Amino acid sequence: MPGVAWLIAFFVVPVYAVTAVAFGQVDPILRTARPVWNPLQWDFQAMGDVLDRVIGGDLGRVFLRTFMFVGLALAGCIAIGYPVAYFVARKAGRSRGALLALLVLPFWISYLMRMLAWTNLLQLDGYVNRLLQWFHIIDAPRTWLDGDWPTVVIGLTYGYVPFFILPLYATLERIDGRLIEAGRDLGASATRTFFAVTLPLSVPGLMAASVITVLPMCGDYYTSAYLTSGSPRTEMVGSQIEFFLRQSTRPQAGASLVLILMAVLLVLMVYYLVATLRQQREAER
Amino acid sequence: MSATRRQFIGNSARLAFALSAGVPLLQACGGDKSEGSTDPIKDGLEPEKGPLRIINYADYVNPDVIADFERLYGVKVEVTTINSGAEMTAKIVDPNIKIDMSHSMSATSLGRYIAGGLVMPLNKSYIPNAKNILLAFNDPWYDKDAVYSMPYTFFGTGIGFRSDRIDAAEVEAQGWDTIWNATNFKGQVSILDDEREAFAMAMLRRGITDINTTDPELLDQALADILELIDLVNVKVNIEGYKDIPEGATTIAQTWSADLILGANGYLPEGTDSSVLGFWHPPTGQYAVANDMLGVMASAQSPVLAHHYLDYMLDNDVSEKNFSWVGYLPALTKLDADYVIGAGYVPEHLRNCVPTNDDITNGLQFRDIGIDGDLLYEETWSKFKAGA
Repeated sequence: MPGVAWLIAFFVVPVYAVTAVAFGQVDPILRTARPVWNPLQWDFQAMGDVLDRVIGGDLGRVFLRTFMFVGLALAGCIAIGYPVAYFVARKAGRSRGALLALLVLPFWISYLMRMLAWTNLLQLDGYVNRLLQWFHIIDAPRTWLDGDWPTVVIGLTYGYVPFFILPLYATLERIDGRLIEAGRDLGASATRTFFAVTLPLSVPGLMAASVITVLPMCGDYYTSAYLTSGSPRTEMVGSQIEFFLRQSTRPQAGASLVLILMAVLLVLMVYYLVATLRQQREAER
Repeated sequence: MSATRRQFIGNSARLAFALSAGVPLLQACGGDKSEGSTDPIKDGLEPEKGPLRIINYADYVNPDVIADFERLYGVKVEVTTINSGAEMTAKIVDPNIKIDMSHSMSATSLGRYIAGGLVMPLNKSYIPNAKNILLAFNDPWYDKDAVYSMPYTFFGTGIGFRSDRIDAAEVEAQGWDTIWNATNFKGQVSILDDEREAFAMAMLRRGITDINTTDPELLDQALADILELIDLVNVKVNIEGYKDIPEGATTIAQTWSADLILGANGYLPEGTDSSVLGFWHPPTGQYAVANDMLGVMASAQSPVLAHHYLDYMLDNDVSEKNFSWVGYLPALTKLDADYVIGAGYVPEHLRNCVPTNDDITNGLQFRDIGIDGDLLYEETWSKFKAGA
């Protein structure tokens, strides 16, 4: 029962509200959204127009760009987050508590503030350029904030990696140490034990961490806005949603984009749920 | 009929705002805003005890000016801040948010508020300082006989640039082409994040001065033109010229004149002289000008106090104090270019950033183009932002 109430309050009602805006009207004078709650009166024009632009149109490229950025940022999160989570969970020993506290620390600072900090770090005379020059990785300062996609990927990775590490840590920490010891006792090297035992057992955590980070990343708009000064080259779906919902005369288009993005992400969510159920069944056998 | 419409507007806006701002939906379940007055207040009333509730953009009024008013009238002033005109509208019609006056309505939003009965006609017997405003604003194009509004600040759109990187004469000779020719400054060029401004720039570059056109062909051409900027100069799209130019992140920007004044006074790195800043003022008849306005809400709970505040903001000394902090010039006769330059607020070489009465009289204005016109511009702008 609490689960149903939760689902209604935090999923059904908000989604229905967004749907009522997507298929609703706009006030002709004040240009504010006029949600239509009765499905019999819904107008699908805005959704149709947006779908036309998504399927083979300019918005389709925005979706692809978004998924590319998110995919690369997820890869970055795995590359950084997995070793960190593994070390804290399995190797940190007595310093685990302190390290965990450090991992939680970024949550104390607003995401926006952390992005604003990056705009300073990535300035021409910022610390990133100074450091890279000091290590002779670059000869001259790089213009990070001029609308290049790597900056957005770096920003997304940095912003979301703390969200990635914690659920993964929880899974890695729960792995029965005897299973790893058994692998070593049977003659497997540390590397082989990792790939044959630890990694497969951490897949549920990896998937949960991926879902937790990918979902908000797909709707993110401030990372791109802050780090690339609104360059059209780095426009993500979230920016288009924000534009239509908050700055345009057609909020229905923004709400339609929300629904389309949700539909795409729902496919990933269903895959995650099916995979998780399958793993649970296998574990119970 | 009127009450039904207001309820409907309130409900719609509550939902839109709740969705956009992430406020829980249940929070929107409040009562309806009481009916406002569409008649001016009577003469000779005593100001209410407050608080005076103002809606305004963040950092768009000097806090000391507000504090002085609080001391003068013994009232509390509460400022609700917004980031966009749409957010202002949503908050104004939200029955859960009490607002007595708006500090910064645009011409298009004022027209909608008048049509929606959201602003009250002003009683000018409370506003003797109205005599201080520039002649052009006595009967502005957006508000016949200034019945509903008084001007707050005014500005024009041109090119802000770093004169230590590009020669001012070169910018003057090229005009708007400067932005398209800035291939040496890739990634250091920006245009305003405003569809009307950006497309107007593209049209003015081609000699089209009807910046309120809704001709789809002209707009498609304008789209094609600004799309070129993505590859030519890796264009940035924002409204941050006021800091990006002085700080050096941007070399050339379509920007508002006031941004250079603001930048010169507050955003230059230590040791950098304001002489590095330049502004290109488009020729007479091609200069797009705009202003923000003060007005009293029809639902104001302290309408008399709001009138007093409005008069206070039009006082020459108060306006000067406000300008010294905000950087956007008030539309008052006294605060002309000679005065603000002589007083040290504006460097002489940025004289052309100070708009004049003639700029308003002969300038181009962004007018309400109707909902279909707005839809056309927004759809086209969305295509540009998508990098189509």
